[in-house]
Amino acid sequence: MVVKCERVLSQISDYFDDHLDPALKRAMEDHFTQCRHCQAVLDGMGNVADLYGDEKMFTLPAGFHSRLRRRLADQVEGKRVSGLRLLVSFAATGALAALVLFATVGDRFVPRPRAQMSQPARRLPQHLVAVVDGGKTFHVLGCPYMHGKYRMVTPDEAIREGYTPCSRCMSEALRSAGSVELDFEGLETASSATAAK
Amino acid sequence: MSAPPSDPSHEHEAALIGRIQLGERELFYDLIRPYEKRVFVIAFTILRNEADAEDAAQEAFLKALKHLGQFRSEARFSTWLIQVAINEARQRQRKNHLEIMRPIEDQENEDGTYTPRDFADWREIPSEALERKEIREKLVAAFGSLAQKYREVFVLRDVQHLSIEDAAQALGISAGAVKTRLLRARLMLRDLLAPGLEGISPSHSQIPKGIKPWS
Repeated sequence: MVVKCERVLSQISDYFDDHLDPALKRAMEDHFTQCRHCQAVLDGMGNVADLYGDEKMFTLPAGFHSRLRRRLADQVEGKRVSGLRLLVSFAATGALAALVLFATVGDRFVPRPRAQMSQPARRLPQHLVAVVDGGKTFHVLGCPYMHGKYRMVTPDEAIREGYTPCSRCMSEALRSAGSVELDFEGLETASSATAAK
Repeated sequence: MSAPPSDPSHEHEAALIGRIQLGERELFYDLIRPYEKRVFVIAFTILRNEADAEDAAQEAFLKALKHLGQFRSEARFSTWLIQVAINEARQRQRKNHLEIMRPIEDQENEDGTYTPRDFADWREIPSEALERKEIREKLVAAFGSLAQKYREVFVLRDVQHLSIEDAAQALGISAGAVKTRLLRARLMLRDLLAPGLEGISPSHSQIPKGIKPWS
């Protein structure tokens, strides 16, 4: 088979990719040995592919990877967390870390509820709670069932100290506000009653 | 041509995707890591602007995560991801009203034959030449002057080494159209570059035949 320049140039890209049937491929090889023009086009095509295919030709902008990670973080690692929720989760993480610490230094730390007959809590309020040193329960500030000198602590601290939620004010608060579900082990075992019956 | 050897295996990716769909979403980072550059480059090919391309690439990854459930495991993940990126970049381009600035060649009938203008010998360019700024600038300018449909095909084939079939799938065109556009893109780039780059090679000796990757 003999091929002319016009045919060669229309097939040169497929020749370059080695997508031609053997007969045409051989005919084109013969043509290239005799035609300097077509050989120059083929060489140029090879140079173009070499240059643009080089790793250095197209590069990612500096910092691309870390900016991408930041952009994806919310979707990959969960929903965007509000500042308050973040605070509570830090507090919960702190409580968990404290538990681990206690577990390593001595007996497993399981706070004994000050009130008997208590049920394990599965939810926590997102705000600080009030406790009275001599009392057994923790309260929403202003609860009429709270008496004496109070101090404000995080729900986790209250639980660690053995306080249980006040069945009057706290159950109301947990129903209304977006409370935090306890979903990790450890704190659950340390958490206290939902209500003193 | 097949995908570069560094690509993770189909089985590995299918397993990752399964785990991500079951909730291990942080594995998405591992899934996309090998394709960050490819997604950026195809977005850049369409938008021709680094900032827009980066934004489109980020958005494409977000969409890929969101719609991962629509990915069919018989397809190649990288092709699907590139398809998502192409759609995102094209959509952004429409939004930016860039289509009114499209070069005239876009209207050309691609069935018409393209005849090389220049038959000068072009000695082999060592890839070190890419470290020279003026050469890179010439290459970028030549590439940017091609119509979008040629840039897209050329990048998918000669830069990202997708097969003809995968390139066709990613672009939503036939394999024949990929081949036709590729021929033109390669010939046009050669024409644009051969006169300017001729003679920049430090070696003036004749390059022996038979050492080129395509031979």
